[in-house]
Amino acid sequence: MREVFTMWRHTQMVVLVALSAAIYAAVLIPFKGFVLIPGFTEIRPANVFPFVFGLLFGPAGAWGAAIGNLIGDFFGTLGLGSISGFVGNFFLGLIPYKLWGAFFAGDPAQTIDSRKKLIGFIGIVIAASAACALWIAWFNDLLGNVPFAALGSIITVNNAVAGIVLGPILLLVLYPRVKRWGLLWTEIMHPEEVSPARLRTLGNILMWVGSVGGIVVGLIIALGLYEQGFAAAGFTPEGFGDVGALGIGLGMIPFLALIVIASIMLGGREQVVAEQEGSGRVV
Amino acid sequence: MNPYLYLDRDTFVHRLDPRTKMFLLLGAFVLVFIYLNPLYQLAVLAVILFFGYLAKMLVNLKRIWFILVMISVMTVLLWSIFGSGETPLFLFFELESLLYGLAIALRIVGAIIAGMIFLSTTRNEEIATGLVKLGIPYRFAFAVSTALRLVPTIAATGSTIGQAQRSRGLDLESGNIIQRIRKNVPLLIPVFVSTIRSTNVFSMALESKGFGAGKERTYVLELHITRRDVLAMVLFLLVLAAALAIRLAGYGGLEGFTR
Repeated sequence: MREVFTMWRHTQMVVLVALSAAIYAAVLIPFKGFVLIPGFTEIRPANVFPFVFGLLFGPAGAWGAAIGNLIGDFFGTLGLGSISGFVGNFFLGLIPYKLWGAFFAGDPAQTIDSRKKLIGFIGIVIAASAACALWIAWFNDLLGNVPFAALGSIITVNNAVAGIVLGPILLLVLYPRVKRWGLLWTEIMHPEEVSPARLRTLGNILMWVGSVGGIVVGLIIALGLYEQGFAAAGFTPEGFGDVGALGIGLGMIPFLALIVIASIMLGGREQVVAEQEGSGRVV
Repeated sequence: MNPYLYLDRDTFVHRLDPRTKMFLLLGAFVLVFIYLNPLYQLAVLAVILFFGYLAKMLVNLKRIWFILVMISVMTVLLWSIFGSGETPLFLFFELESLLYGLAIALRIVGAIIAGMIFLSTTRNEEIATGLVKLGIPYRFAFAVSTALRLVPTIAATGSTIGQAQRSRGLDLESGNIIQRIRKNVPLLIPVFVSTIRSTNVFSMALESKGFGAGKERTYVLELHITRRDVLAMVLFLLVLAAALAIRLAGYGGLEGFTR
């Protein structure tokens, strides 16, 4: 995750953070009226940007997604939930380039030029959407604002639909231009500024367990499907509600930790080296 | 329509240092979390609204009244479904879950209005400089303030392209929401492409002006914590302490609700 901090040394990356945040927010704001869970989430076609900007601009896309979502909240829904929105959207932009490196180490070009890459992209969108939903739903359930089951499922689906439907098109349009202008994160950053991958396959598995596994287990706890197990363990029926709230609060922490650990393990240096060797830049 | 919430008024809230306003905003977020009884939450909301009245920003609430109403309805509904109480009312509604839903709705509305007061009384430049003075790295604060400034520019460019196409006969108004999105997406592509394309020129312009050249920066906007700021923070801390004391004395809770 070193690149998340070292990227701020590059003026181009700072500008990319600002521009991707501005584009994300500019498309988020007009849809503020199309609410799904008022005050928390709305129909968000703009959610295609964190995936695309995350792949093209790497850590700048991740920061851009986080700041863009916060700015979206500045236009009417700023609250304590905005903290989880910031973190969740950061991972929505971070996970795509991390997993892309794990899937396509040999050919890291961030475009959909084969069926394999399309399937990989769809998988990445689902994992990133689930991770984002997990952070936001967990935090808001912890605060007692919105039940995990309602927010977690809606955010996952909302993010994934935008990414799967619009993502491939936008990536096909933007990739050749961004590459021509030398704005891919793998072209701007130096290999020594980016963490190398450690146990990449294990990191990939942990990311899936943390994100998709986390949201599934969270929904099971939140919907009370564990009830029989607790009853067998001797909990009184009256206590189920408290166990449920506690279950989400504590039960999701290992999954959130897995997402962070997997992000560290997946690195990114290999993508930078492959890109710069491919383009003839001296590494 | 101006997308920004800032209202240029001459009130004591506007004159407060942005760091003080950030402190008050965080304090308000704590305040709305103290009580679970809707009556006490109503009192907290009244305090926040009174502060908004002093800041002469209540007019901005007209812009989000629909969201606030929807929040109240949906939150009560959601907690009636996902929570449970002891006293049945009708259908799946129970008294305690209804009261909890109301309290949470008031909590969320209170937090959003507190956020609105902050944004209605603080300029973007003040937010950015305030963040830097609080120890947030300058480059991060710069990215936030630049993005804030660019949002209306991007929206205006999109609108101009849309109007140009409409003048050539393109119908963007008819059809359902999905059809309208499909018509608008191709128009937005040039906006994104031209915005991203400006990255290199923007970066060169910044570096030619010495962006990041020195470790110590100076700012046009100078911030000072004055006696007024200290007074505002002390008064708010007293309100917060009183609210906590009432809660610790056993008032403002909600019995019989389980999640």
